[in-house]
Amino acid sequence: MAVIEVKNLSKSFKVKLKEKGLKGSLKSIIKPKYKTIKAVRNVSFSVEKGEIIAFIGPNGAGKSTTIKMMTSILYPDKGSIKVMGLDPSRDRKALSYEIGTVFGQKEQLWTHLTPYDNFKFFGAIYDIPEKAIEKKIDELRELFELDSFINTPVRNLSLGQRIRCEIVASLIHEPKVLFLDEPTIGLDPVVKENIRTLIKRMNKEYKTTIFLTSHDVGDIEKLCKRVIIINNGTVVMDDTMENLKYHYLNKKIVEAKMKEMVNLEDEEGITILKDKGYNLKIEVDTTKKSVSDALKLLNPDNIIDINISNVPLEDIISDIYKNRD
Amino acid sequence: MLTEVKNQIKVVFLSIKYSVMRELLNRFTFISNVIFMMLNNASMIIQWLVLFSLRENMGGYTFKEVLLLWGIASSTFGFSRFFFYKAFSLSSIINEGKLDSYIVQPKNILISIITSDISVSALGDLLYGYIMLVFYGLSIKSFLLFTYFIITGGIIIAAISVILNSLSFWFGNTDVIAETGNHLMTNFATYPDGIFKGIAKALLFTLIPVGISNYIPVHVIVNFDLNLFLINTTVCIFLIYFAFITFYTGLKRYSSSNLMSSKI
Amino acid sequence: MKKYLFIFKSEIMTNLQYVFNIFVGFIGYFVMLFILFNLWEYLYSDPNELINGYSMTSMMWYVVITEILYSVVGGRTLCKKISNDVKSGNVAYNINKPYSYIGYSVSSHFGNMFIKFIMYVILGLGFGLIFIKKLPNLSLVGIIFVLVSSFLGLLISTLLILSIGLFSFYIEDSGPFYWVYSKLILVMGTLFPIEYFPTIVQKILVYTPVYVVNYGPAKLFVDFDIHKGIGIILAQIIYVIIAYLICNHIYRKGVRRINVNGG
Repeated sequence: MAVIEVKNLSKSFKVKLKEKGLKGSLKSIIKPKYKTIKAVRNVSFSVEKGEIIAFIGPNGAGKSTTIKMMTSILYPDKGSIKVMGLDPSRDRKALSYEIGTVFGQKEQLWTHLTPYDNFKFFGAIYDIPEKAIEKKIDELRELFELDSFINTPVRNLSLGQRIRCEIVASLIHEPKVLFLDEPTIGLDPVVKENIRTLIKRMNKEYKTTIFLTSHDVGDIEKLCKRVIIINNGTVVMDDTMENLKYHYLNKKIVEAKMKEMVNLEDEEGITILKDKGYNLKIEVDTTKKSVSDALKLLNPDNIIDINISNVPLEDIISDIYKNRD
Repeated sequence: MLTEVKNQIKVVFLSIKYSVMRELLNRFTFISNVIFMMLNNASMIIQWLVLFSLRENMGGYTFKEVLLLWGIASSTFGFSRFFFYKAFSLSSIINEGKLDSYIVQPKNILISIITSDISVSALGDLLYGYIMLVFYGLSIKSFLLFTYFIITGGIIIAAISVILNSLSFWFGNTDVIAETGNHLMTNFATYPDGIFKGIAKALLFTLIPVGISNYIPVHVIVNFDLNLFLINTTVCIFLIYFAFITFYTGLKRYSSSNLMSSKI
Repeated sequence: MKKYLFIFKSEIMTNLQYVFNIFVGFIGYFVMLFILFNLWEYLYSDPNELINGYSMTSMMWYVVITEILYSVVGGRTLCKKISNDVKSGNVAYNINKPYSYIGYSVSSHFGNMFIKFIMYVILGLGFGLIFIKKLPNLSLVGIIFVLVSSFLGLLISTLLILSIGLFSFYIEDSGPFYWVYSKLILVMGTLFPIEYFPTIVQKILVYTPVYVVNYGPAKLFVDFDIHKGIGIILAQIIYVIIAYLICNHIYRKGVRRINVNGG
């Protein structure tokens, strides 16, 4: 049974335009001008129980608007949504018992209280009896490794610890679906990895369906089996992680600062993006050449500094467009 | 239904308790806020000492009755800002998109928002009113009536603020209008109704219902009148209803509308 | 001086957007006057009667002027802004800039008040003319005196409120001090002139800010006399100096405190 069912969803916004300067601001008071932005256009997809699905796209692609429509915050212009069989725009209260939300930058925790007190507050919001709350907190404390700071006021926690607490707070009422909007934004790589492991563990333990948005390719690679890519409000791709990896995540960018110049032209699987003498930027196609082979070609003794990264999401999207034509 | 109400009340009290705990982290600021607010109110006694030196009776009020009027004004103000503090900044919550985290919770959105913070100085206002009641003359009857009226009056003030702030759903930033409306209520609340005549007096019992939230209580405490008592209660209930209708109509508009007011 | 003029100008620019807000804020002023007019009509059973030397019309004009000055200052916002500057460390940041923080704050606040002042004067006088009908006798010299003393009164208010805001160097929240200050100014020089107080109190009030902030300009407006005018303006100049010295002292000590404690 599909946990989330979205059909032909559309939503547009009118944005007030503001011209610069004094004259502009006077004008906008008297006769405001609007521009229509189609934030989401004709989006359809469905999510099965227990899936971890990545909903990705660049900033302003329509991710948040879609999530807001699935969580009762905004109503669609056109199309329909069913989450756990409920219509978000009509069954707000009933739905809110079924879903959990973590909106990356927006804090829902009381910062002067300890995580423990916060969890109890959320327990009360979801009408959970005192004893059941405590049992649940114990369970989640173990799963998310909160022991060392569960009694420290939230404002004294690191960003990573806070996000862990935000996630736990949204799990107190055992939601069937968890919406995570940019959960790893602003975190350092080690903490990111840690959060990903915890999310994966939680999914395994509770079979919670997870709907995750991110513009970090790493999040998706590590967590999800299925990916929906959205750009300019439309679904660009809805495919398995494997396919995405095979077709688009098969390239790594290597930037290196060298002691001596090397000639990599005509090497199979390597494209030179930039070559300024001692500073080199290449793209390695891992289906043809492994990264370690590429490094050997550079000669490790010769490298002063090196940086290996994924292809940015924006490039992948433009690749997808190119391949369609 | 009943358990739902019980659960909602539990969340409200937990929320207020947590807010108080936060403010108590800085005890000095907490106490100085409360005490200075009482001093602040007390300084207005000077005005009435001067006025009563010119006349013994101001618009049908004795000096003691003016103190009672001030007590009602101060405590209703304090009650509304202590328990429903966010009702007075609802407009900015709407405009900054902070409604979202309340919408995803299975509780009444309006109640959750307006009780999500407290004003410490309002506690000073609330207490100050009771001190004035002592000066007026404390009895079981006056205490009970006073307490009843600051609850209805406080709710009336908060409800009006919710209605005015909810205009933001239609007109964008309306916090100035709401603030002016709240000011109006407060300004009239500390002057005896006897100095107003004609249309002004009529307005004070209708459009700007200070008469109902503040003057009626003084009259009823001085000289009990069941009809006036019932008018106060009825208007209170009506305004609660009207506040919810306005807010939820606005919220529906917010969710289904297509307006985003950002700079581009 | 040019840089302060620039700050002043850019503050006016931003404020034009808020003309609407000022307009709505004017409703508050209008209501306050309405209440006070009702009060004075109630108190003066006979319009020709004199209470403490004031006729009913001069009492009404008195509050028209004092309420303009009281509203235009917008002390609460100013005090909060200064407090925030102190707490956010903005003040310390300003040390390295080629202007004084006090000079910056005063000129910025005057830019803030400028349009408000003009609007309040036009609307206040209009409101007064409709309800009171007759203007007090005022010569050109009188008008100049009233304008100068209004300017000085606003300057003194600004400096005093600035000082209170700067108290945030020492305490978490300086707001409560401002409440009491503003209420004292309200009940002593704004709602009625100092002649309404017992003689002994009057003698003390003459030496307090009450005399120079709102009482001075309003008194000159309703009852001008050149000797009184010169006296009030002299008192105001002395007060500007005193207020500046206090403000500067608190600022310097506060900043040094931050530097010692490392913010």
